[in-house]
Amino acid sequence: MEALEMYTVNARADVYTEELRLNLGPQHPSTHGVLRVELGMDGEIITAARCDIGYLHRCAEKIGENVSYLQFTPYTDRMDYLASMNNNLAWSLTVEKLMDLEVPERAQWLRMICVELNRIASHLIAFGTYGIDIGANTPFFYAFREREAIMGLLERPSGARMLYNYIQPGGVRRDIDENWVADVLAFCDEFEKRWAEYNTLLSGNAIFIKRTANIGILTKEMALAYGCTGPVLRGSGVRWDLRRDVPYLAPYDDVEFDIPVGEGTHGTLGDCWDRYWVRMREMMESIRIIRQGCAQLPDGEVMTKKQKGMYKTPMKPPVGAAYVRCENPRGELAFYAVSDGEASPIRLRTRAPSFCNLAVLDQLLPGCLLADGVAVIGSLDIVLGEVDR
Amino acid sequence: MNDSEIHARLVANVEGVGELDTSAGDPCVGVSADAVVDALGFLRDDDECSMEMLHCVTAVDREKQVDVVYHVCSYARHHSLTLKVELPKPEGADEHWHPEVPTACGVYPAADWHEREQWDLLGVRFTGHPDMRRILLPEEWIGHPLRKDYVYPSEHGGIPLELDAVPLYEREGESVGQPAPTPREPGAPLNQPPSEPSKRPHAGGKAPAPEKGDS
Repeated sequence: MEALEMYTVNARADVYTEELRLNLGPQHPSTHGVLRVELGMDGEIITAARCDIGYLHRCAEKIGENVSYLQFTPYTDRMDYLASMNNNLAWSLTVEKLMDLEVPERAQWLRMICVELNRIASHLIAFGTYGIDIGANTPFFYAFREREAIMGLLERPSGARMLYNYIQPGGVRRDIDENWVADVLAFCDEFEKRWAEYNTLLSGNAIFIKRTANIGILTKEMALAYGCTGPVLRGSGVRWDLRRDVPYLAPYDDVEFDIPVGEGTHGTLGDCWDRYWVRMREMMESIRIIRQGCAQLPDGEVMTKKQKGMYKTPMKPPVGAAYVRCENPRGELAFYAVSDGEASPIRLRTRAPSFCNLAVLDQLLPGCLLADGVAVIGSLDIVLGEVDR
Repeated sequence: MNDSEIHARLVANVEGVGELDTSAGDPCVGVSADAVVDALGFLRDDDECSMEMLHCVTAVDREKQVDVVYHVCSYARHHSLTLKVELPKPEGADEHWHPEVPTACGVYPAADWHEREQWDLLGVRFTGHPDMRRILLPEEWIGHPLRKDYVYPSEHGGIPLELDAVPLYEREGESVGQPAPTPREPGAPLNQPPSEPSKRPHAGGKAPAPEKGDS
């Protein structure tokens, strides 16, 4: 061992290696999509990083200026395609704010249950793919098994498995069937047992902790300055959640839940493990919310009467602008719609959480080993469909 | 604090801050382009405002002017504010006109990517930005697509992009791909596959005769 250390020290002193420029991606499984990161490498150590995005740009904002408000809802599905319900909700709330629409109570509770189910499904992907990034293949299969159950549940009212287009301005598209609530509750019971399995499988795994603790440390100040939101911000110890602090959906006031934040359990506050663990605990909080939502679900209409005519004639909101923020699985999604009184907005801006969370990557990577860089990218949990829109 | 309280505090401390506009939709504070960095800096550092985060930077093309809208919010105080810089379009300006605002990168690092995106899509130049490159579109892209006076390109990378182009198979005098099929006579059977009658008995054809020699 001693001899080896001596050799290493000598090699670093004697051998000069010039800086290598390395392209990570765009076709690389650990970049979770088509992201290219230009890296400057000194041996195995990253010295500089620069993100190159835009490979998945589909002109969503331009399309939004050319379609009606209702027609844009399916396009929001395709931004963060792992959390379509949440995107639908944010867009619907924006239009409702512009139009000053009232939403029936039952629709609001259904929205909350569906959004929280989708949050679990989205965090399951984060959990499963993060395992693969680190080198643990099994959690992926476990996560997809439970995600499959959620997709089955959400398919029943919406008719789609991933891109739901279920929550629409004015309410939700269809009411649920009579067994749905019972099946959701059964899923909650099942999921609690599975969640314990995930933790024995990955969360407490010594190798996993060594790969993620003390890696990619994001301080609270840096997270705020770079506009990070969601689990990335909470992983740095900021107890902030729009669902509690600026409730955008009435039922969130009536349910109890905690906001998990990073505590630096296995290393420094704001490291990759903290971000991962925040997501894991958020799944259980979502289960709590869903249980309370199912218990309190009121009867009644699921769509405003005013909205039903809007399928025939496109709605024309009054002149004005609305900015609505929502707590998505990946952070705060906001839509900014500017109306001039016509059937389509003159400007539609999406403030995508992944876009803002990814911006901090250039600062997190320098100083890491290349293999740890993969862990850092995974811990930000980006969806490139949303980064590029 | 609500919007009018924050606005009052802002007016008292920063020069160049205009009225609070509550007439249409979300209330927003008008700010002149020269004062926007000071205003953002004050909002961030002031204890009572304490806007730790720049949430979003948006440029809006209103044809006669371009607005740059800043959404800032505070975690400590649970409030938020909208700032708006109006940049009137000069007479006779075309799609090459680039409105200019000083960058907010020095106050909020988060502004970096947001401002790059607004440059990319709307051609707003943020002066003093450390890295004013396109972010979503390719480097060689011409024009800024979310501008109302955007001139659509006719080709990109050698591929024609004619928006109202006649599809290749409908153009006259150009033989592209397969030759056009001869028109079917009225009453003639429709064949599937097109060239020869079906061999299957239920489709009206004859079943293929069993090969001799099999027994």
